[in-house]
Amino acid sequence: MVVPTAESSDETLAARAAAGDDHAFELLVERYQGRIFRLACRLTSDTDAPDVLQETFLQAYRHLSSFRGESQFGTWLYRIATNAALMHRRTRARRPAEPLDAFLPRFDTDGRHVGTPAELQLASQADELLDRQFLAEKARAVIARLPDLYRDAFVLRDLEEMSTADVAHALGVEPATVRQRVHRARLMLRGYLSDLVGVKP
Amino acid sequence: MKEIVCASGVELLMDYLEGVLPADVRSAVDAHVAGCPRCVAFLASYRETPRLLREATATRIPADLQASLRAFLRAQRGLSE
Repeated sequence: MVVPTAESSDETLAARAAAGDDHAFELLVERYQGRIFRLACRLTSDTDAPDVLQETFLQAYRHLSSFRGESQFGTWLYRIATNAALMHRRTRARRPAEPLDAFLPRFDTDGRHVGTPAELQLASQADELLDRQFLAEKARAVIARLPDLYRDAFVLRDLEEMSTADVAHALGVEPATVRQRVHRARLMLRGYLSDLVGVKP
Repeated sequence: MKEIVCASGVELLMDYLEGVLPADVRSAVDAHVAGCPRCVAFLASYRETPRLLREATATRIPADLQASLRAFLRAQRGLSE
């Protein structure tokens, strides 16, 4: 029999794991634990991410037999992780709303941008202008302040770089809804970064 | 169709970047942005925002968490170390 290796495809490993090969399952865990942990941090918090990580792989293990290779293994696992993260968040007390509307772009009465081009572009240099650690802390905090619906869509679409169609499927909404939520999140976060580097949005 | 101004153009940016705007609306956005340095600048920062936050939140899984995950899953499978 062929021993599964780190070079085996996800689908090969998943099939072997489903057939009871624990080594194959552990290879899948090693392959995906970093990505699932990062996703869990983005959707919940550093504190809750370890629980979400455990829950994700436990659910994956229990449901390996239902993975039929109709989607990619990674997509299937991300869906489990997303559900685990959203379920976990539901068990937490609702956080008070901290609206980010103040960071939405501003226009004059003719609908023109307020601010010079240099000011309007400054947000894109946040990583050059700010300390890396400072930006990392601020980024985590502001993403957690987004309304949940915007946060979920933004994290999956823009941070995890899933396709809009996959995000729509994972969240159970239409692609147009995903686009609308991601757009609102981008506007708020762009304005926040702008504010962080010293320019009013 | 109605002329695009900065405010109405901004509302179309996501659909614009995803390529789901009707051709005539897309052309109208292009025409506005071509003549509007503020929108060029805004669009640049709008496009960069996901990358900046992606990089800023790219945390690594701690080694001790990898070990505890492996131990947890082995225990759940009824295996011993």
